[in-house]
Amino acid sequence: MIVDFKLPDLGEGLTESEIVSWQVSVGDTVKLNQVIGEVETAKAVVELPSPYAGTVTAIAHAPGTVVEVGEVIISFDVAGDAPVGDVPPVNAEPKRVPTLVGYGADPESTRRPARRGRTFEAPALSSSPVVVHTAQVQGDRPRSTPPVRKLARDRGVDLADVFGTGERGLITREDVVGFAGGRAPGAGTAAPAPASSMHAVDNSAREVRTPIKGVRKLTAAAMVQSAFTAPHVTEFLTVDVTAGMELLARLRASREFADVKLTPLTLAAKAVCIGIARQPALNSRWDGPNNEIVTMNYVNLGIAAATPRGLIVPNIKNAQTLGLHGLAAALGALAGTARAGKTPPADLAGGTFSITNIGVFGIDAGTPILNPGEAGILALGAVRNTPWEHQGGIALRQVMTLSLSFDHRLVDGEQGSRFLADVGAVMADPAMALALG
Amino acid sequence: MTTLTLNQAINAGLRKAMEDDPKVVLLGEDIGTLGGVFRVTDGLMKDFGSHRVIDTPLAESAIIGTAVGLAYRGFRPVCEIQFDGFIYPGFDQIVSQVAKLHMRTHGQVRMPLTIRVPFGGGIGSPEHHSESPEAYFVHTSGLRVISVSNPQDAYTMLRQAIASDDPVLFFEPKRRYHAKGEVDLDLDLSRAPAMGAARVVSAGTDVTLVTYGPLVATALDAAKAAADEGVSIEVIDLRSLSPIDYGPLEESVRRTGRLVVTHEASETLGLGAEIVAAVTERCFNYLESAPVRVTGFDIPYPPSKLEKHHLPDLDRMLDGVDRALGRPNSLSGLEG
Amino acid sequence: MLEATASPGTSPQPGLHQLIAADGSAVTDELLAPFVADVDDEQLRGLLGEMVVIRRIDFEATALQRQGQLALWPPMLGQEAAQIGSVHALEKDDFIFPTYRENGVAYCRGAKLAGIMSTWRGSANTGWDPYEFNMATPQIIIGAQTLHATGYAMGLAMEGKESLAIAYLGDGATSQGDVHESMVFAASFQAPVVFFCQNNHWAISEPVGLQAHAPIAGRAPGYGIPSLRIDGNDVLAVLAATRWAATRARSGGGPSFIEAVTYRMGAHTTADDPTRYRGVTELEEWAAKDPIARLRAFLQVRGQLDAGQEAAIEAKADAVAAELRAGCIGMPDPAPMSIFDNVYTAAHAILDRQRDHYERYLAGFAGTAEVNTLPAGARP
Repeated sequence: MIVDFKLPDLGEGLTESEIVSWQVSVGDTVKLNQVIGEVETAKAVVELPSPYAGTVTAIAHAPGTVVEVGEVIISFDVAGDAPVGDVPPVNAEPKRVPTLVGYGADPESTRRPARRGRTFEAPALSSSPVVVHTAQVQGDRPRSTPPVRKLARDRGVDLADVFGTGERGLITREDVVGFAGGRAPGAGTAAPAPASSMHAVDNSAREVRTPIKGVRKLTAAAMVQSAFTAPHVTEFLTVDVTAGMELLARLRASREFADVKLTPLTLAAKAVCIGIARQPALNSRWDGPNNEIVTMNYVNLGIAAATPRGLIVPNIKNAQTLGLHGLAAALGALAGTARAGKTPPADLAGGTFSITNIGVFGIDAGTPILNPGEAGILALGAVRNTPWEHQGGIALRQVMTLSLSFDHRLVDGEQGSRFLADVGAVMADPAMALALG
Repeated sequence: MTTLTLNQAINAGLRKAMEDDPKVVLLGEDIGTLGGVFRVTDGLMKDFGSHRVIDTPLAESAIIGTAVGLAYRGFRPVCEIQFDGFIYPGFDQIVSQVAKLHMRTHGQVRMPLTIRVPFGGGIGSPEHHSESPEAYFVHTSGLRVISVSNPQDAYTMLRQAIASDDPVLFFEPKRRYHAKGEVDLDLDLSRAPAMGAARVVSAGTDVTLVTYGPLVATALDAAKAAADEGVSIEVIDLRSLSPIDYGPLEESVRRTGRLVVTHEASETLGLGAEIVAAVTERCFNYLESAPVRVTGFDIPYPPSKLEKHHLPDLDRMLDGVDRALGRPNSLSGLEG
Repeated sequence: MLEATASPGTSPQPGLHQLIAADGSAVTDELLAPFVADVDDEQLRGLLGEMVVIRRIDFEATALQRQGQLALWPPMLGQEAAQIGSVHALEKDDFIFPTYRENGVAYCRGAKLAGIMSTWRGSANTGWDPYEFNMATPQIIIGAQTLHATGYAMGLAMEGKESLAIAYLGDGATSQGDVHESMVFAASFQAPVVFFCQNNHWAISEPVGLQAHAPIAGRAPGYGIPSLRIDGNDVLAVLAATRWAATRARSGGGPSFIEAVTYRMGAHTTADDPTRYRGVTELEEWAAKDPIARLRAFLQVRGQLDAGQEAAIEAKADAVAAELRAGCIGMPDPAPMSIFDNVYTAAHAILDRQRDHYERYLAGFAGTAEVNTLPAGARP
């Protein structure tokens, strides 16, 4: 049968060669490996040994012709019934050189290394968080990674309390960082309660020693971490919130709001959400390990609350979707759960912005410390009757100071100021919510 | 139940295996007339004859190599290598032939050999009599490797090894030959724990301590001493070294979060290295502290007066446990 | 019953035992002649035909290696008489433990050509089922097989069988410890084993003089094993000597050693270049002692080989060569996942896990273009 010999790739990126000479003619019998001709590459004249034994039936190109790699140059009539199969052209390069004991090593390739393409099946969606708790019920310890365990240990966080948002319930660094931190003492709508870790005071001693543990330890660690990681800037805005308070009073009387409690905190929560929509930098976090700033498109609004165990900051998930009524309901539930000491770990993780109400203590302003991992925290001062400019004159108005601390890595002065101004504007004139929202 | 020492239990296991299968033949130096240098084969030549309990010339390679030929013929040879340190002349036959013949012949030829090796130190002997060469064989695909720690396991696992159609290296802790234990001589092999199964020999909650062979007894002692300090150690006897049964190890580490592995063999590339790597891969997210290895040093086995410094003892094991628990230990303050 | 006994050795026979000289003339040998008294001309033609066929197999396999179809091939060129003569002394129940060079023995025993080739192509570690015709797989660890043969023979003795085990080995192997240990065991247990040593004068590039300072046949009597030194290129002498050893083994006479003096006319393996270590003169000397030429001459002189019979032999050789070539080139590559097969007889959790993981890995490439297998000459 007739087989064609195509010009092989002689290596070095050549796509063509010139036929220099033929050593055989049509009709000649040729043995395997017999030199049948010469071709010229850019570097040298190269001999072509025959890959077949047989009779030459055709020579396709005369000497002097430039031929492309892969073109037929000579044909043979090969004896035997079976096709020779995949006998590689004898001088195709690169090829393995046999050794005493085998085919030999793969030669170095002239091609750029490349990976083979792959496809993966989409991984199954992570199972529900319930699985984590089930595993823990079975006796397994919480799943995390050694560095995160160390972080938790350093912060006094018990991983059993932390909700894991990672794959299959893995507790991530963010989960630990977002776990109940603490800052300046304050309370939501709950009355402050003494921390359970405090021992009874023995007035006869010169000093009292209280072990550092539990929530206080947690809170302290969080504060330290926050204070010495994020560059804090605090701005103050004192606003006349009389109109806001009047709105709240009107709404309290309405049937729609009969089932919830409305306070300045409720209005502030709404104002914060509106402000975040216009200044998203206040709702971001600093992801150092990945060298990225992450801006969340949702607001998990944390509210500082005092509990029997100490100060915690549970958050309302997706607060941006709630209207005034929804916020009021959430705040009420949050406070009630916190007072009962039953705040679940899920509520304590994932916060994006926090509010602390120091006004209930009669305090005007402060320099709150950020909840670790968050970009901003707003402290609400007390609402006081204060002589204030009103319609060109002096009148007693209901005045409140808003104190905003922000992380200056994430929020610049203009952003922080504009945010605070927006919040103040909504507190001062709730109708502004229509204009700004 | 019968009270037997470890070497008596092995003797009983050999006897039972030979009674059950006429194809079982024993080969080794001094195993016949003398009954073995540790009396492990005592009485067997008298009862089964010199054609089944064969005193061989002094040639370890030939002991294994002729066993290969016997296996080709359909026998089930049980070779004894008199001491761990003398296995090396037979290493080539074990690794190049015994381990590979089944795969080499596409499963057509089986090598149901059992190679018994008294191993480990703590017997106050000169060089080459206290080696722990198990890692070389665990690293050789095609072999199964087991190491017993007590008379009951010695009795049942030896019989399982002989019955297995795969070649099995059976490492006997010679320093425990005289340790006594209860043995159920009538235990049916099918109802005994699998040859490849690891076992929790002492439950605990604070640390998982994994070992095999001669150090199981030491680990149990360490667990008792630790209990007096309020530390609860879970001791696992691997029993099978190839394959290692990771199920119980993983289940334990998922609970304790802390792993200590101990063996007489040198640290580098000993079984501890494999176990730590595998458990870290499988249980990374449950680990509270870095796994700890308490092992012999990377030295040739020392003279007998110094062996106590080389072999992990109760105190060294507990020092490792302290390290795993983050308690003050001999390496406190050292980074890496 | 297997018992260790001390057996008196037999001193090596002086000279070289022969029945057909290099020029084809008959030679008298009182020891060997009785063992082949029954061999007639037809059987001799049969032996000739088989030697021609296995020489052709050798030639074809060498060519296939040159064409990249085999990783390597260990030529048996020049040793045809040693292989054919010895295998024909054996019964079906005798068990053979070969080296890697006894491909002629394998062919005669019934191994399929494609099977024989598969080992050298790199498609398999073995080319046949050992129990199909009682021949172990090719042994690459020099000398290891002698222990296996001895152990097998010990087993035969324990069972009271009349079969034997035969270990093929080369001159180089007689330096290996395992070979000497096997002779110790064989003698001590009077195992029915035949040690068939082909002294082909070369272990890769090392001459036999490096392996032995005295005739190799003289070693075995030192262990108490009788031995014969024969002309390994004389197929009739080889047949006779192997029958002598087999008779001893079958009748409880224990082990024997045969040194078949022959010559490795080819290279150690196909990528070896013997011109680097041996001269042309030596090759010419041994070419004059060619085993096929001498038997052909022996038969022709007696008028027992005509053109038609020669042609038939050539035709058979051609057919075998074609079948071998087709079987080799057409051999499918083994399946990737088969690397995990037969490592153990039963499940092994660690290996099974690796197998599962690799299967997943490979599945990730299913259906995607394999960038790294562009045909030679193509440009990416």
